[in-house]
Amino acid sequence: MADKSLELYRDNTAEDSTSILQAPGLIFFEMKVLNLLILLFITIISVHALRGYTMDGSALHFLVGAGSVPVFSWKLPVCVSILSVSLLLLLSIPCNNHPELVGKIILEYGIALGICALTGFGYTGIVMLLLADTMRYRIDWKKRIGYVTAICIAFLAMSSNQLYNLLHVIPLSQLWAYYRQDVRSSLLSVLDMLSLLNTLVFILYMVVLTLSQTSEKERILRLNSQLQNANRKLEEYAQEQVRMTETRERNRLAREIHDTLGHSLTGIITGIEACIMLMDIAPEATKEQLRAIAQVARNGITDVRHSVNALRPDALETLDLEAAIRKLVEESESSTGVKIDLVFPEGLQDLDQDEEDVLYRIVQESITNAIRHGNATHIDVRIERVDSDLRIRIEDNGKGCDDIQSGFGLHHMQERIDMLKGTLSYSGKEGFVIEAVVPIRVVSEEES
Amino acid sequence: MNSSADGTLEDEDNMKSIFNDFMDSRFKRLVAAAVLILLSIILMSGIYQKWIPRKGKKLTIGVFAGSYWDIENGYYYRILDDAIEEFQKVYPEYEVTYTSGILKSDYSEWLAEKMLQGDVPDLFFVPADNLAAFAGIGALRSLDNLIVLDRGFDPGAFYSSAYQTGRENGVQYALPYECAPNMMFVNKTILDREGIPLPDPDWTWEEFLQICGKVTHSTDGTGVVNQYGISGYSWVDAFSTNGVELFDEEGKSCDFTTPQIGEAISFLERLQAGNSGYNVSGRDFSNGNVAFQPMMFSEYRAYKSRELSLKKYSGFEWECITMPAGPSGDNFSRLDTLCIGLSSRTSQEKAAWELMKILTCEKKIQREIFDYSEGISPLKEVTESKETADLIREGTGSAFNMDTLHRAMEKSVIPPRFAGYEEALEQVSTAVRSILESNSNVQMEQIIWNRTINNYLKTRR
Repeated sequence: MADKSLELYRDNTAEDSTSILQAPGLIFFEMKVLNLLILLFITIISVHALRGYTMDGSALHFLVGAGSVPVFSWKLPVCVSILSVSLLLLLSIPCNNHPELVGKIILEYGIALGICALTGFGYTGIVMLLLADTMRYRIDWKKRIGYVTAICIAFLAMSSNQLYNLLHVIPLSQLWAYYRQDVRSSLLSVLDMLSLLNTLVFILYMVVLTLSQTSEKERILRLNSQLQNANRKLEEYAQEQVRMTETRERNRLAREIHDTLGHSLTGIITGIEACIMLMDIAPEATKEQLRAIAQVARNGITDVRHSVNALRPDALETLDLEAAIRKLVEESESSTGVKIDLVFPEGLQDLDQDEEDVLYRIVQESITNAIRHGNATHIDVRIERVDSDLRIRIEDNGKGCDDIQSGFGLHHMQERIDMLKGTLSYSGKEGFVIEAVVPIRVVSEEES
Repeated sequence: MNSSADGTLEDEDNMKSIFNDFMDSRFKRLVAAAVLILLSIILMSGIYQKWIPRKGKKLTIGVFAGSYWDIENGYYYRILDDAIEEFQKVYPEYEVTYTSGILKSDYSEWLAEKMLQGDVPDLFFVPADNLAAFAGIGALRSLDNLIVLDRGFDPGAFYSSAYQTGRENGVQYALPYECAPNMMFVNKTILDREGIPLPDPDWTWEEFLQICGKVTHSTDGTGVVNQYGISGYSWVDAFSTNGVELFDEEGKSCDFTTPQIGEAISFLERLQAGNSGYNVSGRDFSNGNVAFQPMMFSEYRAYKSRELSLKKYSGFEWECITMPAGPSGDNFSRLDTLCIGLSSRTSQEKAAWELMKILTCEKKIQREIFDYSEGISPLKEVTESKETADLIREGTGSAFNMDTLHRAMEKSVIPPRFAGYEEALEQVSTAVRSILESNSNVQMEQIIWNRTINNYLKTRR
């Protein structure tokens, strides 16, 4: 119960944090729209006023008073809109370093200045867009204050008289002087209200931005602690894994010893106890019995060898397939004196790990069988590639076996080959012949 | 719930990715912004009009109906039409149009409306009074580089003050098309009767006062003065012939305290005293009772010509001479000039410049001013030619001394022009009138009025 509530709480915080992270973007978008609307409002009223001057026949008076020719009526809203869109485009460009940011701000300020000049500096709130955009960057406070100060100074410079004269700007109040006093003052008050609204939205934006940045910091801290937790758990798990592996291996060894050595030793002990009782009564039978015991002991040794072999690291792990098989053949020759001929085809480097494994095991098992059970003196190992099949044939000149008992070795072999969807056939009529056909995956060949 | 939320999120992501694909790199967005900025600049400057392929090239001229000199003669578009014809001989691909029928009184407003509508004629006539205003609002294109590049163009061909009229703040904005100096009209009948010879061209205020004194008396023996020396002579005439420069270039300050002004005011006082309190009007001059009256040379040409001579000034012999010189000045004439300027928005500046040159520099066209207008050509060569002299003598039917005109042109001055000049002039008028009416110290009054006028100029902006 406690866990679940914690989970819910966590979910809530996650949702909260994402929404507060998106909020500054949303408010910024609203600000952009608001600015566009304000500029459109100004330009449309201005166009109407300009038309009015012409209709009233006071164009000359207006022009002399204004001191410059304004942009021709329909061009005014069009140009202002185009410039605004280009400003919005620039605002959407992220910057990677300070020179880029400075360049971007200068360019944006230039456009903002153009827009303000066209609209008679009646509305300069557009600079707040620059301010809002710059605040989005995660810059250290000193530089951030520098940026804000620079933009604010440029913002203030916009209301200077020198700039008006330099850019031949017709002040909006002069442009709107066409209207009657009461109409003009209500128009200007609408503009003031919109301007104030823009300022309020900007303040809201700043508050939300600050909140979101703090909340994101918190989120990062929380994520960090979660990560550390997970790390610790992983470490514990790894240690557990090692312990488990050790235990499993120990168990396997115990079972192996019990199954092989234990079994043989039990047989031997039972046999020897029988011999002790029989020795005086029937010495012949005892002899017979001891021979059987010797056989059991020999079998036991073989099993132990098997087990040890299974534990020993593979040649395959260190060598490639061909080298591993050659090594196996050489070792078998030198330790038993059996003559082994090996035919190995070219270009078998592209086999998969499991295919190599099976191949090696088949060869190894067959050689062992031939020596141990067949008493062979010559073994012929032939590996061929027929189309997309790999054909392995191992033939010896041993005594063969009429009644083939699918013992441990052959059974294992069959299992392995089944995994690769291959076939295994063998016969013990003259010597012993094992033939395995394994289809190989030829991906890499096709690729090449 | 979760999966559906994920689904919408994915959709949003898809939308975003489509948008991002559209403008994935910052570079593309930067380029898009730059293109938009360029577009708006092109739109604002109107430079695109040059790129629009047109069937025929077009030039428009802004012109008013009637004469610049307020005298109806019905020939006004004649010179313009001839100039267009001349232009089209060289540039047959151009169609040149003008709107006819705009009255001179409506002309400036008409131009201003065209400017607001972004439809200004490529070149237009500019009355000297409007030049400062149109140059100030940037409606006129600077001609300086065109003048420098055009080797065939010689500013020295014009009378310098006529040429200077087109100059504003050191930039040549317009070329003079026709001009007229103001001159002194003399009733020769009165002078002959009084046994006074026609004054020399370099006569002075003192001589002027003497003659005025001699002619002012009663001719019918009733003892009531009915013959006067001067009518219509204002402080402006006195100031300009005494070398007074009242305002600075931009009309932001005024120096009303100079001794030249003092001299001019006392001269005006003496002149008024001679009329013994009677306010002499232009009607008295046309009735033949006044010896002198300043007038524009255009009026001389208009009323001396045969068609109009019967209407005015018909009862006596009259002639025009230079203005009398003040002690600190010279026989200066004030020059009124009609100029032609190029629109700053024109897309055909080369052709417009050529047409402008034909109108102002082409002798054949300029000579027509003497045929169809009352002004005189600002081209020295045309005005000083023998044919012109013959034409004026023939037209006016008198033995007019062309040297007088040349002297007046050479010694012509341009009245200052700045936005609000008329109102400023009104202030000075009030000042001069008030000083003339009061009996107090002129210099004191000058200082007091200097402050008043400067205050006005300061608060005006």
